[in-house]
Parts: sequence; structure tokens; C-alpha cells
Amino acid sequence: MAGQTDHSLSIFSAAEVEFIAEDEMIEIVPNIRMDALNLLCGDFGPFLPQIPCTVPLWLAVALKKRGKCSIRTPDWMSVEKLTQVLEAERESPREFQPLPFHYVEISRLLLDHAHDDIPEVYMVRSLIEDIRNVRFHKVESGLETISGRTHAVKLKNLSAMEVNVVRPFMARVLQAFYKHDSPEMVQQADTSASKRPQVVDRGPRVSLSCVTC
Amino acid sequence: MGRLLKLREAHKTDAPATCSVLWAHDGSHLATSCASDTEVLIHDLSAPPPGRSGSTAGSSPVVLRHHKEGVTAIALGPMAGPLASGSFDHSVKLYNFPVGSFQGNVTRFTLPIKSLAFNKSGSLLAAAGDDDGIKLISTIDLTISRVLKGHRGPVTGLSFDPKHDYLASIDSFGTVIYWELSTGKQLHTLKSIAPNYNSDSSVLNTLSWRPDGEMLAVPGLRNDVVMYDRDTGEKLFNLRGDHEKSVCSFCWSPNGKYLATSGLDKQVLIWDVDLKQDIERQKFEERICGLSWKPVGNSLAVIDVVGRFGIWDNPVPVSMKSPTEGVVLNEPHPLFEDEDEEEVLGKGISCYSGSLDDSIEKGSGDFSPISRKRVKKRGPSFDEGEEVLQEIDSRKRRKESENKREDGEIRERAVRMQDAFQVGFTPPQQGKRRFLCYNLLGCVTSLENDGFSHVEVDFHDTGRGPRVPSMTDYFGFTMAALNEKGCVLANPCKGEKNMSTLMYRPFGSWANNSEWSMRFELEEVKVVALGKNWVAAVTSHNFLRIFTESGLQMHILSVNGPVVAAAGSGDLLAVVTHASDCLSSGDQVLEIKVFNINEATQTISGRLPLTPCSHLTWLGFSEDGRLGSFDSKGNLRVYSDQFGGSWLPVFSADKARKSEDENYWIVGFNATKLFCIVCKSPESYPSVMPKPVLTILEFSSPLASSDLGADEVENEFMMTNLQLSEIRKKIKDMEAFGLDVTALDDEAFSLEVKLDRCILKLIASCCHSDRLVRATELARLLSTQKSLKGAITIVTASKLPILQEKFSTILEERMLDDLKTPEPIPTGRSNGKTAYSVQPPVRLSPMMEKSPDLNNRTPNTIKPQIKPSPATETLKLVKARYSTPENLAQGEDISKERELGSKLEKVATFVKGKGNATSEVTGKDVSSSATGNVKPELKIPINPFARVKKAT
Repeated sequence: MAGQTDHSLSIFSAAEVEFIAEDEMIEIVPNIRMDALNLLCGDFGPFLPQIPCTVPLWLAVALKKRGKCSIRTPDWMSVEKLTQVLEAERESPREFQPLPFHYVEISRLLLDHAHDDIPEVYMVRSLIEDIRNVRFHKVESGLETISGRTHAVKLKNLSAMEVNVVRPFMARVLQAFYKHDSPEMVQQADTSASKRPQVVDRGPRVSLSCVTC
Repeated sequence: MGRLLKLREAHKTDAPATCSVLWAHDGSHLATSCASDTEVLIHDLSAPPPGRSGSTAGSSPVVLRHHKEGVTAIALGPMAGPLASGSFDHSVKLYNFPVGSFQGNVTRFTLPIKSLAFNKSGSLLAAAGDDDGIKLISTIDLTISRVLKGHRGPVTGLSFDPKHDYLASIDSFGTVIYWELSTGKQLHTLKSIAPNYNSDSSVLNTLSWRPDGEMLAVPGLRNDVVMYDRDTGEKLFNLRGDHEKSVCSFCWSPNGKYLATSGLDKQVLIWDVDLKQDIERQKFEERICGLSWKPVGNSLAVIDVVGRFGIWDNPVPVSMKSPTEGVVLNEPHPLFEDEDEEEVLGKGISCYSGSLDDSIEKGSGDFSPISRKRVKKRGPSFDEGEEVLQEIDSRKRRKESENKREDGEIRERAVRMQDAFQVGFTPPQQGKRRFLCYNLLGCVTSLENDGFSHVEVDFHDTGRGPRVPSMTDYFGFTMAALNEKGCVLANPCKGEKNMSTLMYRPFGSWANNSEWSMRFELEEVKVVALGKNWVAAVTSHNFLRIFTESGLQMHILSVNGPVVAAAGSGDLLAVVTHASDCLSSGDQVLEIKVFNINEATQTISGRLPLTPCSHLTWLGFSEDGRLGSFDSKGNLRVYSDQFGGSWLPVFSADKARKSEDENYWIVGFNATKLFCIVCKSPESYPSVMPKPVLTILEFSSPLASSDLGADEVENEFMMTNLQLSEIRKKIKDMEAFGLDVTALDDEAFSLEVKLDRCILKLIASCCHSDRLVRATELARLLSTQKSLKGAITIVTASKLPILQEKFSTILEERMLDDLKTPEPIPTGRSNGKTAYSVQPPVRLSPMMEKSPDLNNRTPNTIKPQIKPSPATETLKLVKARYSTPENLAQGEDISKERELGSKLEKVATFVKGKGNATSEVTGKDVSSSATGNVKPELKIPINPFARVKKAT
């Protein structure tokens, strides 16, 4: 169900979520000597060869593409850690393991651009895919349990991409249940919806996703 | 080559627990205990049980149920002496052995007991555990004769020296202490030589004296067993072999010729200690935690962590000497004393291995088919055993020689003069690439392959460094030095054919074939160094040979002694030599000389200080030309011109270390930081792959812990002071040559500001802890008046009117002084600034003209009144420098902009005076521009969204 949610209904596209994830910090080992970069989002560097420093992911990827650094794989992206997480995910069907909020995007970016810096890259890739599948499956099976009496769903440790996929569906479902539960709310909601037009600059998909508030 | 040994369950355990096993002196009984079982069992081996063949113990062992909790340790007195047991229930009990009748409680502890030991005569029992202190109990009257305190953690192993001089003890942190029994003093404390099991209580560290008392065996950090000398506590050698994990338990054969070791890898190995090689091994299902040699005959009792024990017959191959041969028994034993050893052995074999074979025939499931074959094959002939031994021999020979070399090194380090070493090298490893030289610029690596090596040169900065093709090396280079322009390689002489060669490879040259090499007959290159347009080599003849870049032999000097290390940078070459033999305390006596090659002068000469009992491990120059040395105890010393040239300790690995198992392999340093590669113990040097990553560590002076509680600030104060003095010296030097010092002066100025900030923080903490005199002293050290005013604000805020008055007096004096000596930069201190007296005198800054009201402490009244005008280029630069936000000391409420403003105004005045420009700036203008950010200099076009999506 949620897996098949139309991405056009999401508030953000996958690329946009990835864009947000690019602000996450990551450690790189530069192989060039460069002065500090004073950017709007902060000062990074100075860059000295073989001395690790922390930069935003977008900068790391930009430098990596030019062969100016190697990216240090975050701790959670080691085969050992991922195996642990995968096992734990499989063992507890109702809980999500704590992973970085942007783990899907970060791992995707690193696997795309810095695959030569990741030890056992194939293993890491397949593990992350497995973890993602297991978690999506959990979300889906969780959605099946939503009934008329559900007013809220609490999902801990859900990552950005996962939230992004299920958010519109989930919100609409809950709203629908709520609406059908209390007929007087339907009218109120209708009136409020008509009074307050939706933000238009977000494009049509926003108005689709937010039926009522 | 192990057959599977059948183990019998003796103790029931739910979880793995430490179990122990002991033989009676005549081999007739066996005592076992288990930490998760309250019982101690005494098995009678002499009476074979009815109906069970192949079983190793009697039908019904004597059960001793006296403890309330698990028995953690048992010990047996000599000659049918008493059996002692210690337990989690904090008590030590004695029993008659082998009858098993209860004799009495020996002592009580407040915490669980972990270890027990009898001395050789049986008169003393040592007991220890989680309690603080080892108790020595006289077994005659059961009184505590001494308590030995010194271990920080639970004591898990005790062993009495068979000659009754010492007691050795080990704790779970891996620290071994030698105690002198006569005085109860600690003779040697060997820290962290054994694995640290503090977090893992299931493994207990143990140690054991060789029966002749000449050496002490301790489990080592590298899956080995290390032997330590009886008297000096020095490492003698180690037994390293096929254990894949740490050794957790071992036992000496009665004659001390063999050692049985069991590891966490569930193997038991038998070692021939003289040959330092393993001769037999056996794999078990569970970890073996207790071992005991049969005092008579060739058998080994083992017990595993689940409480199952067994007897391994003939652990020492029958073709070899018996483990009991040459044992001197205290009391002549009627049965075996006069009998021929061979006969005893023969008996043992026939009796025990016979029963073993029986059980094989009956198809016991415990035996794998392979092992059955092996047993059968091994059985008959001695020749085959010999063959196997030879095979082991050849397999082990290389390892053994390695071990020997290693041990030799260690010994040498302890007592002899250290060998020459090349800075930034790592020792050779079989089949692995290693560093010939590693510095901040790049590295030279070498991989040996079929008699010749491949040498590669890599620069860390791939953008700037030249690409150097890899080279096949037929000489076997072991030394290298690298800089931007080229690298020098050298090999030691190996016999007559392969003489020592020095080779220089320039990375870029306009002419072909500019590589050159030199050969040395009957002389050996010990170390090489590289500088600007010169190559240096120090040889075994104590010659310092200097070549030019093109290979011209320029100078040959004699150095004072055998060389230790050399380092070059720019024009400077530092050479460390031995000045004399080591001191009796083990300290190296080293001498250092620094030459300026291009000017043919000597700049530094003197002794090189080292931490006691350490040796030099690194020597080098920082990028700004400061000399530093690093020793094996992890202390970095930097040469400073202060006090007529002295070495200042600026870093100590002990302080910086975050965890016990970190080793710092230094690569370089700069004015405030150390660059090193962090290696996890037991590795003490990095490997080439994966590429090591440098770690930056801040300098820290070895400050005494003071009452201020502001160690960090004090450290910063020291370091900034040091930096400042360095820069001032440099400015002075450059002034002497009439060079432009503007950039350096800016740097000095910013350091002064940093120092002032530091002092203000110190004043604040002095005020907190009521150190008024010290605060006054600190206030006198402040370099600017603004800071002094800040200090006054601090003391006002902390309501210290006395200090306030003092400070005001200082400020007043300052101002008067300044008025008397009109200088372009009206800072109170004149040291280092005297250079500017050559500048044309300029008009005083308005701030100086206006004599401020000292009682009015709001600095608003001293606002400078200068007209605005365009700022010069230099001023822009200065602004940029001060654009970083400044964190002022707590409690200080003067606005930082204002302070900056006034500083900048001073600089502005200076600039104006220098350039004869009429640029004047208001404080306000400067402050507003000072807060602005420096324009980003982004060289690469990057994600355009990213740059704007986050505002500072």
C-alpha cells in the first residue's frame, strides 16, 4: 500500500528529500591543501592532506567528484553495524532501529559517488537495501492495523524518506477516519477548508494531499 | 595433530565459569572446582571404577560442600599438604587432602576471592581477590602475616617464587607486581603487560614461575606467553605461535622444560620452552580454563569452562624428554625416585593410552575418524614422531628467529644504546608494504617481492605533488627521506657483495638522467636526510657526508659518536648522536647538533633531553623551522631560544591518551598542534593499507595541578606565551635583515590579543578563588590598555575594591609611560615592538591625547573621535583577521566591538604612520565592518542551492 503510494502525492519529491539530506555533516580526508571555505552555512576547513575534517555532504560529494578527497564512511555504514541493525529489525516486528534520519539518502549518495571509499561496498549496498525493505514492509504491515478508532499513529525512528512516502497516505487515512467518525466535524472541516484556501505555490499535489486541516 | 580428548562432567554449570584442576603430588588424586559450583571434588584415580572403561576418575569423588557460593580458586600445599579453597562467599577454607576432611576457615575477605597460592614449603598461603590487598597467611597458626597492597584491580593470579624470595601477582588490568617476601615491598610493577580483562570477569589473568624460579610466565598482549626475568623483571622472550586469541591459562611441566598453554581460541598447546616452539596441540569444544601437569609421568589434566575435565596422556611426544625428567623433588618419593624414568614413562603409556585406545575401539562418539587414524598412525614408531618434529622445526624456525630478533631489540632498548633509525619508518613485515619514510608531505613505501623490492613515492597532496613512477629496487633500500624536490634512498650493507648504496631521485629536472647514486666501501649508511638543495648521509664511520642535489660531494664532517637519527628541512640539518654509553638507569645519553648547510655554520649544539628510560623515536622540523623530538614515552619537546636555548616539553601522550590502548606515531607538528597517526595497541606503528589518517592533537604543557582549577586556560596561557616569544624572536631576526615584517607583526598582534583574553580568564578565576596577588601579577602582563580596563571591569563585577584600585594604578602607570615614549603603537609593553622606533613618529592616537578619567570605568567616555576615511588595503586585511568572534572572559561586560575597534584604530594609526596616508577610521566604522564576514573564496563551483540554503 504505502510502498505503492504515488510519489507525486508526497510533499517532497525524492530528489528534494535528498537535497535536504545533503546538509548532513560527514567526515572527509582531503588529499589537497586548501584554505578554509567561508560559506553561508558555515566555515569549513582549512583542508590539509590526510587530515580529516567535517563538511556537509554536498561539499564532500563535490570534492569527491573532483578527486580531491576520500569520504570516511560513517560508523553506522559498516557491515558489522548494518548486520546488527538488520538482525534487530527482523527480530522486532513492531519497532524501528535507530538509524540516521537521512540514512537512505546518505547511503545512496555515498554508494553513488564514493563507492571506492566504502569497505565491502557490495555487502553494504545489499544490507542497506535489505534494511530498507524490511522497514518499508514494517510500515506497510503497520498501516494495515489502522482502524476506525485510530486517531494517531506513533512511529519512532522512522527516517525522512520513509516518512515522506507514507505521510500523505497516512494523513489522509487518519483524516478520513476522523471525518467519518464525527459527522459534525465533516461540516466544520468543510467550511474551514473552503474558508482557508491552501497554499498555492506548492503546486497542485499539495492541495491534493491536504484535503482538510 | 590433535585427537579429541574425552572430557567428563564433574561440575554442573549453567554458564561458562572458571574452573580449576589440581593434581595430588603423587598423581593419585585430582581436585577440581568450579566458580559456579559450591563443591570441591577430589577424584581418586588409583581405583578404577567398575564397569566403566576409559574413564579417568574414580566412581565417586569425595565431595566437599563447605562453601555457600561458587569456588573460584583452589590450591594445594606440597607433599600431601592441605587443600585450600577460596570462594565467592569471601572465605578461604582448608581441608585435609586427599581425605577431604574439613580443617577450618582460614580467613574472610570482604569481597570474593579470586586466587590462592601456597609457597613451596607450604608455610604460607597467599589469597587475593576483589579486595584491596593480597593476604599472606601463615598455615601453621592461620594468622595473617602480611597484607600486600598495590593492585588497583581484582587480583586474579598469584605465584610464589620457588626460591621463596618473591611473590608475583597479576590483576585483571594486566598489571604484574613482583613483591619481595622479606619486606613486603613492591620490587617491580609491570603495567598493562597482560590482557585487560577488567570488563570480562569470565577470564582470569594468571601467571606462573618456572619451577626453577628463573623466569615468570605471563600471558602477553599478542596471543603469546611472555617470560620475565626473575630479578630484573625484564622481558626475556615470548612464546608466540598458533594461538589465535589470548592465552588465558598455562602450567609449567614439573621440570620446567615444557609449558602447557590454553587460549581463548579453545586450543591447548604444549611448548618446548627452550626451543620456544609448540610441539603439540589439541582443540577442545570449550575453552580450557584449568591445566595441571601430573607431577609424575607424562599427563596433563585439563578442565573446561563448563566444568568438564579430562586427562591428556602423553601431551609431550614420547620421543621427547619427559616433562618430569630432571625434577628435583623436595622429599624423596619411594616409588619413583629410584626408578628409571623410561620405565615410569612406559608404564604411564601402557596404562593410560591403553585405556584410551579401548574406548576408541568401542566407538565412542567423541572421537572423530580423523583423530582415530592419527592416534593409530602416531602410536607405533618413534621415527615418525621425529619426522613430525622436524617438520614443526622447519615451520617454526623462521618465527623463532623473528622472536629472537624482537627480544634482542627489546633487551637492547632497555640496557644498551639505541640503534640508528630513520625518521618516519616502520619495521619490515613479511609480505606487507611498509613505510621507508612517512612525513607530512608524503611517503615512500616499499614491498619486498622475490629478492627485490618495489619502491613507491606518494604525496598526500595529490594536486600539488609530482607523480613519481614506482621503482624496482635491487639494492634493498631500508632508509628514505622525502621532500618536494626529490627523495633519497639508502640500504645497509649486507655482506661483501651488497655494499651500502645511497641513491637520490629528483622528481623534476631539466636534464635527463639526473638520478645519482653513491657506493660506500667498508662503510655503511646509517641515516639519511634531505634539505633544500642538499642530501646528507651519516655513516657507520661517524662521517656526515653532504652532497648537493646533483650529486657533488660537498662536505664530509665527523660527528661525535654513533648516529641515532637525522632530520633535514630547508637549510637546517639536525643530527643526533650518542654521547656516551647508557647510564645505569637505562637513560640514553644523546647529543644533538644542528647545522646550517648552506652557510656552513652550526646553530645548535648540546644534549638532547629524553624522558627517563626512554629512547628517541622521532626527530624533525616543523613547517616554520622549529626543531622537535619525540621519545618512546610519548613526550614531544620543542627547541626554543628561551633561556639561551632549551627544550620545552609541550606534549605528553599520557595526558592526551583517551584510552589505554592508543599509541601515537608522530608525523610532525606545527606551532600549536601535533600531527600523529593513532595506532591501536598492540600495533605501535601504522600499516600502509588502509591509508593512515592523521590525527591532530593540541599541545599541552605538563602543568602541575594548581589551585585555580583553570588548567586549560593556564595551558593556553603557557602555549600562547611560547608562540608569542617565537614570533617576536622571528620579527627581531627579520628586522636585523631589514625584511618586511608586517605579516608577522599582524600575527604577533593577534597572539597578543589571544594572550590578553587568556589572562583575563585567568584573572577571573583568580578572583573566584581569591588569589589577589596573582591577579595583580596577571594584570601587569596584559599588553593593551583595553584589556586592562576589561580586567578592572571583572574585578568590579566580582566586588573586589582592593584589586580595582591596584589595577587602576597599573593602568595609570601604563598611560603615563605611553605619554613619555611616543611610539607608533601605543601598547604598554615595548618588548618586540622596539623595532618600530625607527618609524617616523606619528601623532598619538586621540585616545592617548585624551587623558581618561580613571574613576569612570565605563569605557564609553573614551570613545575615539576620528573622522571616517577609506581604509587601506592593509586595514582590510587586519579587519579580516579580526572578523572571528571573540569570546571574552566571563563576567566581562565591555563590548567586544569596542575593544576591537580600539585595537584596529591603533593599527590604523600605525598604517597611517607607515604609509603617510591620512586614513582615519572611527571606531564605529571598524566595528561594523569587523563583524562582517570575509568574502568567501570558493574555488570550485558547487551546488548553488546549498550555498544559500543555510544562513549563518
